[in-house]
Amino acid sequence: MRLQFHSILSVAALAVLPASAQPSYEAPHPDISVVQDPATRRAQYLQRVNEVITWRAEIVERGDAEKMDLASVSANLLLGRKIDQCSARVIEMMSEPGSGPFWMLPTVSAAFSGRELLSEEAQASIRNAWRTTYQLRGDTENHFAMYYTMLFLMSELYPNEPGSEWYTGKSSEENLAESKEYLIDWMDLMTTVGQGEFNPTHYIGEYAIPMLYLVSWAEDPEMRIRGKMTLDWLFAGLAANTLNGVLRGPNSRTDDNSVIERWNSLSSFFSWLNFGNCPPTKGFSWGNYYAIVAANYELPEVIYRIATDRDGPFEQRDLKRSRHRWRYSDVGKAPIYKTTYVTDDYAVGSYQGGMADPIQSHVWDVTWAVPDPRGAHPTMFSAHPYSSSKGMQMYFNVRPDTMVKAVAAEGKPSYDEPDKLVACSPYEQVFQNLDTVVALYDIPDGIRFPQINGFFSKDLVNLTEDKSGWIFAQGGDTYLAYYPLADYDWIAHQGYRRLPSTGNGYRYERFDTGSKVLASPHQKNGTILQAAATSEFKDFADFQSAIRALPLSFKLEPTPSVSLRTLRGKKIVCAYGKPPRIDGKPLDYTKWKLFEGPYLNAEKGSRKLTITHGQLKRILDFNALTISDAVMRN
Amino acid sequence: MNVRPPHFVAMLPPKTPLCLLVLLSSAVSCLAAPPKHDTYICAAVNKNYVIGSKIVTTSGIHLKDETDAWQHVGINDPSIFAVSFDPRDHDVFYTAALNGALRTLDGGKSWRIMTSWDITEPKDICVDPHDPDTVYLAHPGGVAVSPDRGATWLRNEKGLPDRGKYTQTIEVDRSKKGRVLAGCESSIYLTENGAKSWRRVLETEETVDDIQQSPHDPKIWLAVTQSAGAWITRDSGNTWKNLPDVPSKAALYNVAFDPTDPQRLAIGSYTYGVLTSEDGGDTWTERNAGLHDPHHVWRVGIDPDTGRLYASVYQVALFESEDFGRTWRNVGLEGSAIHSFVFLPQLQK
Repeated sequence: MRLQFHSILSVAALAVLPASAQPSYEAPHPDISVVQDPATRRAQYLQRVNEVITWRAEIVERGDAEKMDLASVSANLLLGRKIDQCSARVIEMMSEPGSGPFWMLPTVSAAFSGRELLSEEAQASIRNAWRTTYQLRGDTENHFAMYYTMLFLMSELYPNEPGSEWYTGKSSEENLAESKEYLIDWMDLMTTVGQGEFNPTHYIGEYAIPMLYLVSWAEDPEMRIRGKMTLDWLFAGLAANTLNGVLRGPNSRTDDNSVIERWNSLSSFFSWLNFGNCPPTKGFSWGNYYAIVAANYELPEVIYRIATDRDGPFEQRDLKRSRHRWRYSDVGKAPIYKTTYVTDDYAVGSYQGGMADPIQSHVWDVTWAVPDPRGAHPTMFSAHPYSSSKGMQMYFNVRPDTMVKAVAAEGKPSYDEPDKLVACSPYEQVFQNLDTVVALYDIPDGIRFPQINGFFSKDLVNLTEDKSGWIFAQGGDTYLAYYPLADYDWIAHQGYRRLPSTGNGYRYERFDTGSKVLASPHQKNGTILQAAATSEFKDFADFQSAIRALPLSFKLEPTPSVSLRTLRGKKIVCAYGKPPRIDGKPLDYTKWKLFEGPYLNAEKGSRKLTITHGQLKRILDFNALTISDAVMRN
Repeated sequence: MNVRPPHFVAMLPPKTPLCLLVLLSSAVSCLAAPPKHDTYICAAVNKNYVIGSKIVTTSGIHLKDETDAWQHVGINDPSIFAVSFDPRDHDVFYTAALNGALRTLDGGKSWRIMTSWDITEPKDICVDPHDPDTVYLAHPGGVAVSPDRGATWLRNEKGLPDRGKYTQTIEVDRSKKGRVLAGCESSIYLTENGAKSWRRVLETEETVDDIQQSPHDPKIWLAVTQSAGAWITRDSGNTWKNLPDVPSKAALYNVAFDPTDPQRLAIGSYTYGVLTSEDGGDTWTERNAGLHDPHHVWRVGIDPDTGRLYASVYQVALFESEDFGRTWRNVGLEGSAIHSFVFLPQLQK
């Protein structure tokens, strides 16, 4: 049996936790100072793990649900409580099984948590469901990661069984071989040409949970070590892309709420759990399924310190890849060149524009640190609200006429709305140098929603539309200068509030968030954004003067172009359709590495990531399947 | 797709005397009634299904029974797009579905996913009636061929482009073993050697959504596209002509021949509804009066025994017409979208 030691720790910690509420969610913002002592750090981590498990175990007693779900069942099994009720509930739920990876994952959680506790009948009900109920594999990378990890684990749990005992019609060994082959292929892609669903606000859970389940429950030692290495890989990326625990920069996939209230995403759960430097999200979401076995993972100190203990501003450049393009493209997996610049006060992040994912991509932003991110909109960016059936068909194997409408009912309500903010576009090109961003737009005739939407937070102060054309503002301890290249109007930002389902897809209502949108209805367009710390200037007026003094010229015809001297003294020239030039040299994306920065480094195609912080170094080598740690001399 | 068994003459020994052939032929034409067909559909009966949501209805393959009720066969799967039967044994059939190609050997009681992780979301599948162990699969990554009833799959794509081999539809020429047409992102490709090599026979501006062979003349085929119109070949797919009377601004989803009348054809379209021709494709008429409004037609089919025209209106219901689209009536399957109609000749027992 694998790794059950944490249940002892869990029970021991229960005595000090309150029996109700969600303590860390409701508590003041956690102290973000670095915890130097490893033992203290570990104890605090386990305390957070136990908070989740305890909270979920008592979901019925607290009145949050009439019946236990599988997360609650797993939590109670882990705590050794309500075993008979858990068995009865499992039997009840297995009488109406679900249809894909979002059912498979919770079921595996209960199956493994209850291997020695659930009644024989309850275990048989799970086993039977995996025989009789056909599971749909899905069509996204996270679907596949969950599907094949869960099929792998269940096939290990029930080895040597013929195809007649599985919904796949394949034997346990065939299921294992197929699952392992897929997972290795996926890891190979990630470690050679980059992650597909990179920097996701929510879907990090859909990868981290399966990997932790491999660590915890796989019998195959190769898959255990692969799971652990991939977790390190994911969390190293999370660490380098967060500021005070909140995920920054572009996202392959996000949503209408997380793109503005940046903290409000599952990634914050993982920051809270691993780094302890931000509050968790309400209900812990899928973090409940992670917490069940979270004690089986120990975050490497080097990753912890990247997230929490930095020596000033840094720039990290990564290579990622788009979602696979089935058609209408010369490439199947387009390279994504991602840049993140992070200071103590703010972060600027981007990729080069174009389509990373058809529905949920977020291309660039400036975000700033706030004392408490809950409810805040600490971000500024612009986007073309591209909506296209053909854009969908590039990535989805669907007919042309229904999907634009259907995605709104599938939890992406803004997709076909002109004021949407979660958007990437084939008509957007973005260049970032440190804390300067230039986004250019050249939207052809006939394209739906020929406008640019710029987001302006309710939390900004001193918003000033200067006669120079710059719009100045302050967010937290960050000064912001936004230059729209074309005329615009202000409209209220309408957010999305989810309503109870009536059984026919998701439903939402819109509400005024207090933020606003700069809507610029011009096809040839652009945005220049410059950020700086307030500490760099005597006062706001001083910042404005410095920005006004920057040499800037631009034109929109025949195609948009900008020539600018940045606040950091760089001369950048961006012309739509051409490589950007920095101090006279064209940017050569072909030289982009898989990771390049002070903390994460990897060569393209290497399968090897070097994670460093100060004297600490960890190398994840997927060629040899080794993890090596070193402490470097000063 | 409609898999027809080879003509009985083809089943006879090669040295059968001519006089015997004539006698046999006469006897068959006197005694045999036209083949009856079993009507199968692949239908999704689940509005707004998204991965993870509970399937609360019954989707997948349905067989029409003697009372005209639909009986579900096999797996409850809203993603089954196509089914193809082994002409030797109708308990053996294959589906193209989200998870890949599936096969049953016992009439749908048990199934096996025949493909692995590297083939996903196929939209069409076709058994070669002259070589029923060989199965062709159209999937977004190209074409796959199984020589052994789905046990193994080969990516035989020589002649297909690296990019642009997205394949929506695949159809075996019933007149010759190993002759197959594939409808891809912007072309139709033809193989005459069982997919050892392919050549482009038609370049289109958009994805080819459906290709069908005439039941009356095997040299005649029709193809419809996503906003690149409809096309006809009269020389087995070697050369194609556009059908200028068919509208081409919006997608045409499928085309059907009427086996009871060589002049009658139908096209299904989300935008145009039902289009019919009664002069072999020269002129076309929208036949939507009496159909649900809006007439977002997902698929049309024509019953080979009666000439009855079917139209599946997307997530509304199945409609049928006894007068080739002039009048319609709702015949149930509320909320469904039918991905394909299959009229399977009944085997003699």
